[in-house]
Amino acid sequence: MKKLLAMLLVICSTASAEIQPEPIGRIQTLPDPYPPHWIVAVDVAFFHMNDGKLIVLDADSDDPAGRFKGMMNGTFIPVMYMAETRPEIYVLESFRARGHRGERTDVMTIYDKTTLAPIDEVVIPAKRVSAMPTEYYLQLVDDEKLALIYNFTPATTVSVVDLEKREFLGEVPIPGCSLIYPLAGRAFASLCGDGKLLTIQLDRNGKLVSSERTEAFFDADNDPLMEKPAIIDGIAYFPTFLGNVFPVDLSGSAPVIGESWSLVEGVEGGWRPGGIVLAQGDASGRLYVLMHPDGHDGTHKDPGSEVWVFDPQTKQRVDRIELALPAITMGLTNDDDPLLVTTNINLEVDVYNANSGEHLRTIGNFGQETVFLFHSDR
Amino acid sequence: MKWLDGLTEGAVRGVAQRTSRRGFLGKLAGAIAGGAAAIPLLPVARGDGSNPYPEEEGDPNSCDYWRYCAIDGFLCGCCGGSANSCPPGTEMSPITWIGTCENPVDGKSYIMSYNDCCGKSSCGNCLCQRNEGDRPVYQPRLSNDLNWCLGTESQAYHCSTAIVIGTALDQ
Repeated sequence: MKKLLAMLLVICSTASAEIQPEPIGRIQTLPDPYPPHWIVAVDVAFFHMNDGKLIVLDADSDDPAGRFKGMMNGTFIPVMYMAETRPEIYVLESFRARGHRGERTDVMTIYDKTTLAPIDEVVIPAKRVSAMPTEYYLQLVDDEKLALIYNFTPATTVSVVDLEKREFLGEVPIPGCSLIYPLAGRAFASLCGDGKLLTIQLDRNGKLVSSERTEAFFDADNDPLMEKPAIIDGIAYFPTFLGNVFPVDLSGSAPVIGESWSLVEGVEGGWRPGGIVLAQGDASGRLYVLMHPDGHDGTHKDPGSEVWVFDPQTKQRVDRIELALPAITMGLTNDDDPLLVTTNINLEVDVYNANSGEHLRTIGNFGQETVFLFHSDR
Repeated sequence: MKWLDGLTEGAVRGVAQRTSRRGFLGKLAGAIAGGAAAIPLLPVARGDGSNPYPEEEGDPNSCDYWRYCAIDGFLCGCCGGSANSCPPGTEMSPITWIGTCENPVDGKSYIMSYNDCCGKSSCGNCLCQRNEGDRPVYQPRLSNDLNWCLGTESQAYHCSTAIVIGTALDQ
């Protein structure tokens, strides 16, 4: 009798442990906002440019499988922008009808941030710049109502897209100038080859209202501005080749150029800024600059072996982070306990505690090839 | 075309000894060394007798070859072309960025035109980046960050040449 009972128990317990049929068609979604230490690694796929990827990673995680949260595509050197006021991610892409040849079509693809699915697109003039990526090729202004896209043919213009109607509005010329730095309202600034800033004001239809140039404020021949500033509390900090920094206040409808100061004064070793993304700001207002020693003509894009941290108010260096491996680019999360992320010279992602400088982990082999930019939620 | 900051032999030379040989750098170094071994060493006399071309020294498929002082991209000589010609089936961009490089043989500075070869995807062989005289994209004619496959049928970037277009004025 006892034996029979035991057998029944075994049968019952086996039956209860049986895997139940599962629904087909489940697809994961992501939260909005993303947790503060999630990053989007922009892999431009330098060796396979039609297969760029934008990979969402949990930079806090040591689990190689679980930290990969999802992915978007970005064809031919994508440029992305994560909106603050709506759960959307905008990605500039270029397609050719037959892969590497055929008619070119440029689009701004609109991704849903939570599903990572492309939900719409705006066809834009097939002129968007194709170059080493920077976030200043795509910016949003007017409380994120307008998207601005830098074109280079080599004539330089800016395409204007209405993000609420999701339609292309028109094109504005910026002769002799490049890139897009957002100003308050429907306005932006561009950097010019003669050392000036161009200010463009637009109307609600994206048409040109006014165009003005500042006086030349930097020496484009002898100490050029790096075109990739960190913007902190509305002020853009542009490092120069020789290690100075120009603050430009972008918080109004016209840029206000401040006094330059030195990042390297009194420091031995020929240190200079350099890299793909070489300047970033954190939530507490500190300025991070990727630095390399023994600088000379031609080193302005060399890997940096240290990140120097400055208080822009006092213009003093407050920290010096020695990197585990030299880095070609960097990013910062936007929270109060930020992570510093870099792409090291082995093309892996290194993660550091930005406050302590401690190297936390190296993230590699996650399908990446050439991660040149990082984004995090705003 | 001008890309991949810091990933080339020239750019990472200073840090290479402190870094692992694994991964990209190892592969890159291997590719460069392999390319060099396969190519006859110069000096090479160029041009004909009636219009003698200055002699050149070095390996035209090595990143440190004198013509490549402002190069950024894959060397066309490693992709089926040469320092001044495109690989089969590609199209040369009519416009590009320029550099000024000194030829160590005659001590003269030459203006280099780094025309890209376009219409196929990245060659992937002999990636080089040197930035002497390179400037940000707001000075486009001096910027190797830009994909110069412009004015071509396709903007797909394949490799970069380094063509002598004249001598620079003596400084």
